[in-house]
Amino acid sequence: MKEFELEPGEHVVMEARKHWFLFLAELLPFAILAVLPFALPKLLMLASPLAPYAGLFDYHTTLARAGLGVWLLISWTLAWSTFTRYFLNVWVLTNQRIVDIKQRGYFSRSVSSLFLSRVQDVTTNVVGVLPSLLNIGDIKVQTAAEDIEFIMHGIPRPEQMRDIILRYVSTKPAQ
Amino acid sequence: MPTEPLQPFAPPTALLSYLPSGFSSGTAVTWLLYAVFAFWALYTLIAIYHWLKYSHASWVAIPAIGVHLFISIALMSYALSGYAFSLTPYLP
Repeated sequence: MKEFELEPGEHVVMEARKHWFLFLAELLPFAILAVLPFALPKLLMLASPLAPYAGLFDYHTTLARAGLGVWLLISWTLAWSTFTRYFLNVWVLTNQRIVDIKQRGYFSRSVSSLFLSRVQDVTTNVVGVLPSLLNIGDIKVQTAAEDIEFIMHGIPRPEQMRDIILRYVSTKPAQ
Repeated sequence: MPTEPLQPFAPPTALLSYLPSGFSSGTAVTWLLYAVFAFWALYTLIAIYHWLKYSHASWVAIPAIGVHLFISIALMSYALSGYAFSLTPYLP
């Protein structure tokens, strides 16, 4: 770990990221963007007054092909960037603390730690049909100081993670 | 409520006729592509830096970067020449 040094006797128990379904949902706009240049000529053909414009999307011409290539390149790069953000946003649970790593953008990153000895309460929240079916939820970890709380949204199996956190909390004496 | 039929608009290629003399449409498109690719290169360098520095030495980093570079270079090659390596059969 480069961002935080593990203390002597400390080890990583688990890492948690957003549920894969939420990641796929974030990719959906880019998939639509990528399909658009192929679908648009067919949609124009369906509306007879607009049918002549379908000819503009002939990708065998040099200019249209270059445009399509750039369009797909931009769509792909944005989608990959979404995956990068998904992967770099992570909760790391060690046997001593929870580390919340937030990567909002390429130049906006925060890393904060919460020692398990200070944890007062761990709450899970699963709301909605789809989250219930896929077991996606939020976890809120609160400390004795009321103003400090960690919240992670959309993680898989929140109850399991809560149980693991509480197992390690119970082994830590209060400081 | 318009009473006249819709007038077809000119395709974007017509814009190239406004270019100054001595500056061909091919040159304009080529420089536009270079600008896009330069922006892509800068963006990709920043992303790769983040992957290598912050991915916690995960095994995912190298394949993720490799896939991104392969698909991007294939798409750039497609934009320039119509050939996109193994992606060619999937593109018009």
